[in-house]
Amino acid sequence: MLKARHPLAILFVCIVALVASILAFNALFQIALIALVCVALVAFNRTSPLVLGALMLPFALFGFGFLTTSVFFRQESDFAVKMAGEALLQSSGFSAGLVLFFRAIACGMVSAFFALTTDPGAFVRALMVSAKLPPRIGYSLFAAMQLVPDLAAEAQQMRIAHAMKAGRPPRRIPGPVQVFRLVIPLLAYAVRRAGRTAIALEARGLSPKGPRTVLNAPRFRRGDGVFVIIGLAAIGLCGVTLL
Amino acid sequence: MTSEPQQPDPALVAQWREVSVHYPFTTTSAVGSVDLSINRGERVLLLGPSGSGKSTLLLTLTGLVPESIPAKVDGEILLFGERVAARKPWAWAARVAQYFQDADQTLTGMRVEDEIAFALENRAIPPAVIAEKVARAMRRVGLPDAWRKRRSSTLSGGEKQLVALAATLVQEAEFFIADEPTAHLAPEAAHRLHALLTHGDPERSILIVDHRLEGLIEFIDRLIVLGRDGTIVAEGHPRIVFRERRDLLMAQGIWCPVASALDGRLEEADIAPPTAPLSIAEALAHLEPGVASPSQIAQARPAVQAFVEAYAPRVAAPSRQSPMLTQLIEADCAPSLGPVVLRHVNLSIWEGEILGILGANGAGKSTLGLCLSGLLPLKAGKRKGAPAGYAFQRPENQFTAGTVQEELLTALPDDMPAALKSNRVAEMLARWELASLESRHPFELSQGQKRRLALAALTVSDRWPLLVLDEPTAGLDAWGVARLIEQIESLHDTGRAIAVITHDLDFASRLCPRSIVVGEGGILADGPTQDLMDDAALLRRAGLVESAHRQAVRWLRRSAPC
Repeated sequence: MLKARHPLAILFVCIVALVASILAFNALFQIALIALVCVALVAFNRTSPLVLGALMLPFALFGFGFLTTSVFFRQESDFAVKMAGEALLQSSGFSAGLVLFFRAIACGMVSAFFALTTDPGAFVRALMVSAKLPPRIGYSLFAAMQLVPDLAAEAQQMRIAHAMKAGRPPRRIPGPVQVFRLVIPLLAYAVRRAGRTAIALEARGLSPKGPRTVLNAPRFRRGDGVFVIIGLAAIGLCGVTLL
Repeated sequence: MTSEPQQPDPALVAQWREVSVHYPFTTTSAVGSVDLSINRGERVLLLGPSGSGKSTLLLTLTGLVPESIPAKVDGEILLFGERVAARKPWAWAARVAQYFQDADQTLTGMRVEDEIAFALENRAIPPAVIAEKVARAMRRVGLPDAWRKRRSSTLSGGEKQLVALAATLVQEAEFFIADEPTAHLAPEAAHRLHALLTHGDPERSILIVDHRLEGLIEFIDRLIVLGRDGTIVAEGHPRIVFRERRDLLMAQGIWCPVASALDGRLEEADIAPPTAPLSIAEALAHLEPGVASPSQIAQARPAVQAFVEAYAPRVAAPSRQSPMLTQLIEADCAPSLGPVVLRHVNLSIWEGEILGILGANGAGKSTLGLCLSGLLPLKAGKRKGAPAGYAFQRPENQFTAGTVQEELLTALPDDMPAALKSNRVAEMLARWELASLESRHPFELSQGQKRRLALAALTVSDRWPLLVLDEPTAGLDAWGVARLIEQIESLHDTGRAIAVITHDLDFASRLCPRSIVVGEGGILADGPTQDLMDDAALLRRAGLVESAHRQAVRWLRRSAPC
């Protein structure tokens, strides 16, 4: 259901949610925002709560860093303390850290909402059609998205080759020396691949100027307007916690 | 005295007039000087050894060389009577469709229908018309409708190749250019692709570079052969060139149809067909029992026998009494971070054996090879025996050093004395014909040289009693493959066991006494390679096509004296 929405409508609501999360230094607001996004994804996008939990893990670790910094190194955390002082009036380092912790998760949840509900191809096409993104940049983005999994596969092959040379099975996680040794060959691969893709795009007629049509360009529908209104209202409702 | 400017000929779609191409920082020309023209509706095959400039010549046609790939181009190139340089390369896309060797190079990771629509979108064709043309192209190539919304990055290699073909055919261009379109395809997929390329609009001109000639050559009007120096060394109808210039083509290391070798043998026996054959069936049609007299058949049999024997492995199969080297027992194999692709695999390799691992694209051959070598952990089951050295499909993935010499030095044990190391490296450089390249960076070498360096690095020490070679013939010309077979045989002579992953059945037939066929998530068959080649149902099931020389084997059986 959410996947049918216009990517730019989703982007707009997500940006508003992110801005609200950054401006409202209130733990309850962050928790309400997390719950709102979580319910929306589970109910309307059939996202597994387990997947959401796994996706939030790095954000939780990041937020935990804020929390510990705020609690144990309060003197050094001037900005957070100052912000806490302005918003919560006389709050402790712990509560300020808690807000920062939930904010990290809220921002992560909103980002996950965008990633899980938006087809990258439809998003780039929407940007080209509605936001005048130059097609050369749009299709470069497509090619870059294609390159990421291929780079990972190349890196894996190189790691296996290096392990073979060293006479041991490949390590689960590469060490810093191995990562450094992978950089140059991977860079060479990426440059060669990017050059070839650019040539192929040009050979298929991608020009820097002139009109072009876009098949399956996302169109704004009434449902997108309704989605934006409901989204903004829900974010506003989270704001009730500020009162 | 000045020469008069030549007028463009409307019957020609493309012309190269005294064209030569020099890449920066090179002393010799990549192409040329070349004088060449392509007629309207003509199907032209461009052949040449590795490094003869075939791809460069194709890229000059729409100005990608020198416009996007820096090079100095002398002479004049005309497309549809107009100077190529008069337009930007992208402006030719409406009239010239280009199909590249590597599908990943053509596709950008969009959904399948968007990939196919891309060229038409660039021409600002209305979306409704595009949708209709996309549906037609998908039907023509045989892409299921369910693929429309699939991201091209989730397709297998062969599937991507078909999508790339649909994306090029949809342009409905007057001139179609294809650069080694079947290089990475299993035989069945390659045959299908050839049929799509050659069965279509008779007005469309085609210029194709490909070394897989079976199933293609019959539809070619003219053959153009580039020599090692990038100049044209032969030109004409394939029947004439392959018969009259056979020795030249073989000397240049250029791929010829299998029938050409049989034709040579029959000529020596003075019983060649009157018209030069392009297939084994044509070569033997005049010798079928009932058509030819018994004396003619008797005259031909030694020649056909000798031809067939050239496809038999020179290496004998080891006896099952030999010590077992490596064994997989009830193994489940999966690529790194991927799902299980092969289940309940039972496979043994004996000392001194050359084993073929055959299968279509995406069957799981490479995953099996990595599990066999001990470099990928099994998801279930057991692996017993010595570890193996693995030569990757892309030899670049194996290189870690800055020079060829260093690559070999770092492959030797650390505790080996320095003097011994340098002697051993010098010996290997000479043996693998890399002596003059010792200070070059491995990435600068040609494909054949990279392949040799990868094998040299694996065999410089005695660490690996078993070697797994993944698609070792990819990117090699006929000379390169012949040399590779000799080198693999010499490795075998040192007592090593070798597993060769390939979908080139001719290659497997000449090298491997025993093969396994991988498909449908497991091992479909295990036995003598020649027996597997006779099993048409098995080959069909595995997405393979029988080696062309098998028709000659059947002729020998049919014509055997009672």
